[in-house]
Amino acid sequence: MSTAARKRLIRDFKRLQQDPPEGVNASPQAENIMTWNAIIFGPDETIWDGGVFKLSMEFSEDYPNKAPVVKFRTQLFHPNIYADGAICLDILQNQWSPIYDVSAILTSIQSLLSDPNPNSPANSEAARLYNEDRKEYNRRVKAMVEASWADDGEDEDAEEEEEA
Amino acid sequence: MTFEVRIKKWHAVASWTWNAGDDVCGICRMPFDGCPPDGKYPGDDSPVVWGICTHAFHLQCINRWLQSQTEQKCPFCRRQWEFKQAVVGGEDESEDGAGT
Repeated sequence: MSTAARKRLIRDFKRLQQDPPEGVNASPQAENIMTWNAIIFGPDETIWDGGVFKLSMEFSEDYPNKAPVVKFRTQLFHPNIYADGAICLDILQNQWSPIYDVSAILTSIQSLLSDPNPNSPANSEAARLYNEDRKEYNRRVKAMVEASWADDGEDEDAEEEEEA
Repeated sequence: MTFEVRIKKWHAVASWTWNAGDDVCGICRMPFDGCPPDGKYPGDDSPVVWGICTHAFHLQCINRWLQSQTEQKCPFCRRQWEFKQAVVGGEDESEDGAGT
C-alpha cells in the first residue's frame, strides 16, 4: 500500500543515498519500510570518536506530521539517553516539524552525543558526572565506546560469518 | 531592403511553473510542479500556498500538518501560520507569482 508516509520514506531513503550525511547511515527493513535500522558513528575529535551506535526508527502512518520513535539499540552512557535506549531530544518530542527527515533526525542525534543537555536528564548519573566530574564522565563514555565494538561482534550476521 | 511578413496562422504554447523558491515542498519533498502524495494531477489540483512568513507548501501538505496540531505554526520558522492572500491582477512578478 502506498500511503503518504511510505512515499515520504522512499524520498528520505533516496536523499540518504544521493546526499549521504557524514557519520550516519540508515536503511528500511527489507520487509517493512515503516521500520528502519540506523547507525551513528561517534563524532570525530570528541570522546565519542570511534563509537558505532545502532538505532531503530519506528514510523507511523502520520509521518512526517508525527515524529518517529527512535531508540538506541547499543548501550550508551549519556545524560539524555534512558537505560532502554529512548532519547530525550526536543525535536523528537514537542519541537518536531514535518520538514525533518531521516537524515536530519540522525544528524541531530549525532550532535546530541557530544553536546548533551544536562538540564533535562534521562540518565541522572551521567548528568551528574557531566556537571561535576568531567574526567570520570569521559572515562565512562570511552568505556561505552569500546563496548560498542564488542557489541558489533555479537551481531547475528557476524556470528553467521564466523560459523561459515 | 525590407520584407513584409504576413502571419496567416500561429500556434502558441505556454508553460507554467510555481515560483516558490525551493523546488520541492518541505513537507512531502515532492516537486512543487508535481503532486503531493494524495494529489492526482499537477497544477490546479495540487495548489501551492504561501504563509505570511513567505514559506510555501502544497496546500494539502500544510493543511494536514495544521490539522494535526493545536498550535498553528509554520514548519520552517515556527511563526504563527496565516495564509497569505493571493495578489489579484498579476502584473507584479514578486515571490507570490503563481504561474499561468
